[in-house]
Amino acid sequence: MAAQDLRDALVVLALPFAAFLLLGVVRPLRRRGRLAGIVSIVAVAAALVVAVRLELFGAGSDAVGLWPWLPGDGGPMASVGAVVDVLSRKMLVLVTLVSLLVQIYSLGYLHEESAPGLGRYFAYHALFAFSMLGLVLSPSFLQMFIFWELVGLCSYLLIGYYYDRPSAARAAVKAFWITRLGDLGFVAGIVMLWAATGTFDFAPLFAMAKEGTIPFEGFGLVMFLIYLGAVGKSAQFPLHVWLPDAMEGPTPVSALIHAATMVTAGVFMVTRAYPLFVAAPDVLWLIGTVGAFTALLAATMACVENDIKRVLAYSTVSQLSFMMAAIGSGVPRAGFLHLLTHGLFKALLFLGAGAVIHAVGTNDIFRMGRLFRALPGTGTVFLVGTLALAGIPPLPGFFSKEAILTGVWESGRTGVFAVLALTAFLTAFYMFRVMFVAFFGRAHAPYEHAHDAPPSMAVPLWVLAGLTVLAGLRLAMGGGEEHAPPWLLALSLALAVAGFVLAWAAYQAGVVSASALASTFPLSLVDSLARRRYFLDALYAGLYRGVMLGFSRLIGWIDRYLVDGLLNFLSACTLRGGDLLRGIQSGRAQDYLYGVAFGLLALVVWAQLWLRRP
Amino acid sequence: MSPFTLEAGLGVLLLVVFVAGLAARGSDRRWIGWLVLAGVAGLEALAFALSPVEPAPGAIFVQDGLALFAKRLFLAATLVGVLCGLAPAAGPFARRAAEYHLLLLSSLLGMLVLASARDVILLFVAFELMSIPLYVLAGFAKRDGTAVEAALKFFLVGSVSSAVMAYGLSFVYGAARTTALAGVARAASSGDPLLILGLLAALTGFGFKIAAFPFHMWVPDTYEAASTPFVAWLSVAPKAAGFVAIFRVYFEGTGAGAFWGPIVAALAAVTIVAGNLMALPQENAKRLLAYSGIAHIGYMLVGVAAASASGTAMVLFYLVAYVFGNMGAFLVVEAVARAEGSEHLGAFRGLAQRSPLLALAMLLFLLSLGGIPFVAGFWAKLYVFWAAASAGLYWLVLLGAILTVVALFYYLVVARRMYIDAPVHSGRIRLDPALTIAVLLCVLGVVALGLWPKPLVMAALRVAAPLY
Repeated sequence: MAAQDLRDALVVLALPFAAFLLLGVVRPLRRRGRLAGIVSIVAVAAALVVAVRLELFGAGSDAVGLWPWLPGDGGPMASVGAVVDVLSRKMLVLVTLVSLLVQIYSLGYLHEESAPGLGRYFAYHALFAFSMLGLVLSPSFLQMFIFWELVGLCSYLLIGYYYDRPSAARAAVKAFWITRLGDLGFVAGIVMLWAATGTFDFAPLFAMAKEGTIPFEGFGLVMFLIYLGAVGKSAQFPLHVWLPDAMEGPTPVSALIHAATMVTAGVFMVTRAYPLFVAAPDVLWLIGTVGAFTALLAATMACVENDIKRVLAYSTVSQLSFMMAAIGSGVPRAGFLHLLTHGLFKALLFLGAGAVIHAVGTNDIFRMGRLFRALPGTGTVFLVGTLALAGIPPLPGFFSKEAILTGVWESGRTGVFAVLALTAFLTAFYMFRVMFVAFFGRAHAPYEHAHDAPPSMAVPLWVLAGLTVLAGLRLAMGGGEEHAPPWLLALSLALAVAGFVLAWAAYQAGVVSASALASTFPLSLVDSLARRRYFLDALYAGLYRGVMLGFSRLIGWIDRYLVDGLLNFLSACTLRGGDLLRGIQSGRAQDYLYGVAFGLLALVVWAQLWLRRP
Repeated sequence: MSPFTLEAGLGVLLLVVFVAGLAARGSDRRWIGWLVLAGVAGLEALAFALSPVEPAPGAIFVQDGLALFAKRLFLAATLVGVLCGLAPAAGPFARRAAEYHLLLLSSLLGMLVLASARDVILLFVAFELMSIPLYVLAGFAKRDGTAVEAALKFFLVGSVSSAVMAYGLSFVYGAARTTALAGVARAASSGDPLLILGLLAALTGFGFKIAAFPFHMWVPDTYEAASTPFVAWLSVAPKAAGFVAIFRVYFEGTGAGAFWGPIVAALAAVTIVAGNLMALPQENAKRLLAYSGIAHIGYMLVGVAAASASGTAMVLFYLVAYVFGNMGAFLVVEAVARAEGSEHLGAFRGLAQRSPLLALAMLLFLLSLGGIPFVAGFWAKLYVFWAAASAGLYWLVLLGAILTVVALFYYLVVARRMYIDAPVHSGRIRLDPALTIAVLLCVLGVVALGLWPKPLVMAALRVAAPLY
């Protein structure tokens, strides 16, 4: 049965890859646009069916398939393969599900795109689905790293989908470079780990951790470097700055890659390698602390942002950090649960935001208003997502967040707990702020043209909303953590409600003036800092311009004047030498004979000298 | 089987061509060429069917592995040379086809005997039998002033070199008291100065034949003026014969590698430098190939200078790679010259648009000559350098490697003209079938050796091992 499971998992992996190959190689198909989309959608839908079958009717036991890849002395140096366990089964379903819905949604959302552009878009999507699935199935760090870079590539390509727009091109490069910083640590860590243990595979590494050969000396550094990869990919402080800019890509891309799946790769990697991280308690502590800090930092920035997609982007950073904080506090299961539920409702929120932007043509929430009347369908599903993210029962966000809070509290990290609780309150606040400002409140412009999304966009929205509610009910019926203390349940609920009330008071009822609130100390300080993104972007830009470009200019100068100069001098000498030597080719036969005679004499002289040598 | 089978077969072919030439009528006698082609192909097949014969002690004519290896190479080069010489219907080559091929085959006979000669007198006679028809062939277009001038220069330098060589060989006889090379080899180990002087003088003759600096001066003029199909053959086959003779006289069984190695190394160094530098300013494709060919001789001398079995084997490999690469390049020059009426490098402008096949073939030849993986020339250079390095000649390897960069420059300038520059004339170049087949044969050789060099390397190592 395990072999059957393994085969199913490989089929799930192969289907999107086949679609990508088809679209990549067959140019006429790719240039047909919508047809390319249908190819990709069919492949991913089939993959979803297999993945669901694997999850529901599979053997349930773990299965690992390994095939030797890099040959080496005494057994393969590295293997490729697939691992089917609780983590990867659930991730397969999530990735294929969200991929499928987002691709269907894209057909409607991008209906004005040119056919070749659309074909390119779907080819990237198929490649992304393949890469992400390969990542979650990876049985070794090396294979994971390869797919890790592939999803990074897809992210770059899709952020820069509107490559003729300078801001999109810049954002794509920024995302690529900043995640690359983290990947540098990741790859160095992997190689160091391999140098110390001789394997890339998880199973033997975990066995070593169990029997105590790990931790070896310097293990903390190795795990810290590996964690850096997750810092870049899952947008942890201080490398979180790329994610808000990544919103330059088409909204469905933001929903799939920058909310539901790719950015969770870091969280997934840390969860996967958790038995190793446990052996490095210092790094685990750091993960928790950075997670909590980033969660709060991103939440404050979400509170002052006016761009609906950017609010959601900061919220994604914040929620990813929630998951990281959970892992760092020793409750990876709670973090993974939040990963799954967040994947559902954040995709829902992004797609909902896309429908809104599609309808009104702006990202600024203060130029929207009273949209619920014009877009009742979109408003309803967006409300479901908001309630889920804010943590209102019985929606899944409440349960997963509550599981994290319980776990953190029980681990005894009170500081982290307090920060996360505050963040939970802010989460409810900024989400209802968007809800009230955009969907209720005053209308800022007449929206005669605004109408609900076409079916291809509406259906994925309703499916996601339905699944969110279902997941919540499932968790409410006993899937959640049973041992949560009652006061914590009450606190979770109270935080969510408090956020709701404050948002209602400030933006709907007008009881409290938002601007007045923001100008009182110490909130004024936070407000102005958050609006300037805590100067982090400016710092990076300064570093880039000052240090990197300065260094590059120096190297460029050396290359241009010293290296090239030397080479030019040498080549000039060589050419001159050729001209000079050509002079002996006079064309006169007697000179040729002199040449022969000279050669003979030189040979005799040289042989004499050579013979005289002792 | 008699060791003379190939030579006897070639003799029969010579007679047949002679009679055919007497019988032929009309101005287009190219059918004689086809006859020769068939004959040479048959001899090549025969050469591959033969196996080395263990030489009798003191034999002056041996059919050992080296001889057979060299003969197969000469015949292959001649096959391609005859094939590409078939095309032009007008002009002296069609009318005087019998004469042309008789001379070519006579020279080939000289080469075959030279490869087997283990006696000074036989060696010299074979050497002259190979050389004298070449002087005639260089001036074959006898109404063309430059061709005649070039042939005369070729003849003058050649006869002076031969004279010096004969003079030297007489010293060798005087010192060794025998004309058998086996006896000379025995005497050489005593280090008699008279013998060394004689051998040095003989080296002048061999240096002229392989065109090492400073005995190379006839090369550019002759190559430029003589007909290209002949030059293609001239640039490879006699050179290969010269190298085989050098191995026979200076290294086979002498045990004097330690003495001759450094002398050859010096010759190699000046030849590489001079050949490559003088190729740089050339604007005529044939002159460019002439100088680059001199540089290649220098690289082969690097392998000779290693004075080891592996060095010799690598030179043999280099010779095969050079035959295909260099002949191929000359054939493309011929094809372009037929279309454009010019052998100037400017004629290659935009060749990739006018004849993608020809441009790609030329690119492959140039890459092979330049030593880029994975075409034959890369392995050839690598192996030769490797043999020299294991003999401790690091300075020579370094020098050779640096000048390879210079060589790449002038080769890639041609590639740039073919692929980047716009063509002067438009329209596709029509390719002659015989010439195309010859080019494709060379492409096949260059690519196959580049991808799969191992069998030939093993064969060359087997052949070279008994020499030391």
